[in-house]
Amino acid sequence: MLFAFSNIDFFLTRQKFRPWLMKKIIETQVLIIGGGVTGTGIARDLSLRGLNVILIEKQDLNAGASGGNHGLLHSGARYICSDPEAAVECSNELNIIKKTAGHCVEETGGFFVAVSGDDEKYIADFPGKCSTASIPFKKIDVADARQMEPSLADDMIAVYEVNDASINPFKLSIENVNDAISMGGQYFSYCMLQGFEIINKKICLAKIQNMISNEIFYIKADTYVNASGAWAGRIASLAGIPISMVFSKGTLLVTSKRIIKRVINRLRKPTDGDILVPGGVVSILGTTSVRVASPDNIFPTVDEVDRIISEGERMVPSLKTCRYVRAYSGVRPLVSEGNNDDRDVSRGFTLINHEKDGVDNFVTITGGKLSTYRLMAEKTSDIICRMHGIVSECRTKTIALPSTESGEWSEPGVHISESFAPKTRHDPVLCECEMVPASAVDTIINSIKNNKGNPDLISIALRSRVGKGPCQGSFCSIRILSHLYNTHELTHGAGINDLRKFLNERWKGEQSLLWDQAIVQSSLKEMIHCGLFGLELETH
Amino acid sequence: MKDKQAINCDLLIIGAGFAGMVAAARASSLGLKTVQVGNSSNLFLVSGLFDLLGVYPMASGHILHDPRTGFETLTADCPHHPYSKTGYKKVLESFDFLKNFLASAGLDYQSKNNENYFVLTAAGTFKPSFMVPKTFLKGCSIKQGHPKRVLFVDFKGLREFSAKQIANVIQDTCSIASTLTIEIPDVSSTLHPTRLANLFEDIQFLNFLSKKIMPFSKETDLVGLPAVCGLNKSPETIEKLEAMTGLDCFEIPGIPPSLPGLRLKNAFEKQLSQNNVIFLNNSKIQSHEFKNHHFILTAATENLMAEITTRGVILASGRFPGGGLHAKRERITETVFNLPVRQPEKRNQWYHLNFFNPEGHAINRAGLETDDTFRPVNQNNTPVFNTLYAVGSLLAHNDWVRLKSGSGVSCVTAYTAVNDFYNSISAGGLDV
Repeated sequence: MLFAFSNIDFFLTRQKFRPWLMKKIIETQVLIIGGGVTGTGIARDLSLRGLNVILIEKQDLNAGASGGNHGLLHSGARYICSDPEAAVECSNELNIIKKTAGHCVEETGGFFVAVSGDDEKYIADFPGKCSTASIPFKKIDVADARQMEPSLADDMIAVYEVNDASINPFKLSIENVNDAISMGGQYFSYCMLQGFEIINKKICLAKIQNMISNEIFYIKADTYVNASGAWAGRIASLAGIPISMVFSKGTLLVTSKRIIKRVINRLRKPTDGDILVPGGVVSILGTTSVRVASPDNIFPTVDEVDRIISEGERMVPSLKTCRYVRAYSGVRPLVSEGNNDDRDVSRGFTLINHEKDGVDNFVTITGGKLSTYRLMAEKTSDIICRMHGIVSECRTKTIALPSTESGEWSEPGVHISESFAPKTRHDPVLCECEMVPASAVDTIINSIKNNKGNPDLISIALRSRVGKGPCQGSFCSIRILSHLYNTHELTHGAGINDLRKFLNERWKGEQSLLWDQAIVQSSLKEMIHCGLFGLELETH
Repeated sequence: MKDKQAINCDLLIIGAGFAGMVAAARASSLGLKTVQVGNSSNLFLVSGLFDLLGVYPMASGHILHDPRTGFETLTADCPHHPYSKTGYKKVLESFDFLKNFLASAGLDYQSKNNENYFVLTAAGTFKPSFMVPKTFLKGCSIKQGHPKRVLFVDFKGLREFSAKQIANVIQDTCSIASTLTIEIPDVSSTLHPTRLANLFEDIQFLNFLSKKIMPFSKETDLVGLPAVCGLNKSPETIEKLEAMTGLDCFEIPGIPPSLPGLRLKNAFEKQLSQNNVIFLNNSKIQSHEFKNHHFILTAATENLMAEITTRGVILASGRFPGGGLHAKRERITETVFNLPVRQPEKRNQWYHLNFFNPEGHAINRAGLETDDTFRPVNQNNTPVFNTLYAVGSLLAHNDWVRLKSGSGVSCVTAYTAVNDFYNSISAGGLDV
């Protein structure tokens, strides 16, 4: 979504800015812009240090790179050559996150696997570089590796075991927000920053538009944090500060079944299709690195999908024939330093105190990666605390992230027999692929409403497995829409538009991998939603 | 070892979806010795509405009140569209045949001359359709004519049908919409549509239901119900309910499993078996050869192998859901005879990024190319076999989902192909 308009001229040119009495102004100590893992992490970190925060997000949680990645907590070994510093950070953070947010993590372990033809020198250098970065590793005999992971290719030539783990980034963000809210913080979804008012080198007001009601309101904070990831350049520009960003799109594929027990990395210089991460009952294969002009409106393409599969099948041959349920893309936010290959750009993060740019209460944090989100939040929060004159130690290193009920449903495909089974006989299952009952949908609706959000199909699907199974929302969309009407959450005709948006959102992830069984499913979906319901026709 | 049975026939129909059923109906009505293979259970996916042409041009999403007007433009614009090979009259003729055939099986369908109905769907939208089950008919007046006071009834546990949703979505169309939710004793969380359909055939249930509806009768003109009002006796069931309540009632189609589709399946199967069609249900063709002017095909079910010798074959195997077409990562193939499939050059041209793209997806127009009598042709544009026909959704150039033309194309192509085969063997031309 492009910013509808930026009102910077309005704020900068009009010295006499009067209509205070007319405005709806909400006050807080810190305004955080961007609801990804970093923004939600900062919201929790600052709340734990006693500051009052508001988090705004123009869409909903993890709409950018935080929702478009592998869900991998790197051991660090991937970066030992390209970015040894980031490798060490990953390794340290991995241990902290395992300890403090264990309920979002699956300790899968990982392999680095080389197959015949891979660069011998890279393989030979690997153990030494891991040692230098103090990354734990263990050489595994190829025959043993095949026993441990039977899906691996026959022609593998070297295998190392590392500490990789998989993490559910949605659950992570939901829990971080929930914890911040429990300490008095607030989260506004679908609220987009439109401009800043700057007086005497300080931002004194942020103009916000509610993207659902179109209502304009203002937030007055003491300090402002730009945690908008790939959109950091745009947010900074609203304060008159240039940050030059480049955007690197990565596409990932979700297999319908979990193929491997551990994270499988290709033992070579990082490139396309070389990481396969298990998560719950699925596995995720990626990625690509494609320079794009804008972080908006990105989607997986057929060519990327084919490239990822043809690389992935070298490590795990069954990736050639297995069923994929969906694909998705994320944009790596990289601060431009004139490099040619985006994978050579540092995956470390960029933290900017904008005092140097003449704005004293504004900080930008961008770049980095999921594995180091907590550290990024900590370093940002340190600066914010200094700006507030507060001396307070970061507590996210030690205090465990609480587990809440509304985070439970984002778990990637936990087995039916476990917590997902409907708890009473009066609780119908609304999403049969992923076994999500009505009571779960109600829990999610309530949590969205508690966060002042609008419970529609997309926001429910974001917080749950709804629509993510093989039917990709063909049936459950109608059932959940019915449920929203039956429970009076919807009391007008616009539910049909929600349905369109939801199906098109799922479609973005399907259209590049429709063949075999998946095309049967998508044909049925089109039969129902276009053939019968005629949703493609504008007149309804 | 499975038993191997030898069967001789005039015409083999491959496919037991809608097009295959029409072909079998026509063939058996003409007195041809007919064998049908396929799987009829996929009919639970069809809405039960028979469309002719509801939208044209697709790009503007122009909804047709009179299908003839769009038909003329479509056939002028697309000379390869199956309709361009039949003309409008033949479509009406085939629908008439179908209507009579189903009537003899007790299934009552209605059509207006040259006018589409606007059928209210479970989403709350209106779908243009040409021939509809009698039990849907009264709902078609909501969109046109005077505003009505409609009571929408739903059932607790029937997860995919919400009276409140329909009432909310159509509130601009009809002046007063009210809703009623029926709770059925002993239903726990989920009520399957077929179970509800069985209940509707029980007079005690209808009594129970009418008592719930009666309090609304003074402020109601029409009662809208999900399309689950009985399995095999739906018109009688609706009539009984109307007599009990004194109110006009109608059914509203929704997502599968579709009871109107199951009613069609039952009606076709009943009547085709009376017409002595041999139906090898759940069977697949495993091999085929052509010699001495005859096809010899092996069909297998779970416990039976049949060697079928036939003079003609109607291929009505459907697209991807029916299994007639198969999509691999690289290309699309036809699954029984490996016939050439017209298709976009590369997979990245199959789909549009917008699911609801008004002009549809290029892959929807992929399929088999045929001559004017629906015989698949090779690259030189000549029939692959003289007596092999392809009908229904398998045909190229027809985005039936967007055009709302699925049943019409299936019906008229099946009807025309069988007629052509019949005429050619009656003329004795194939026995040489």
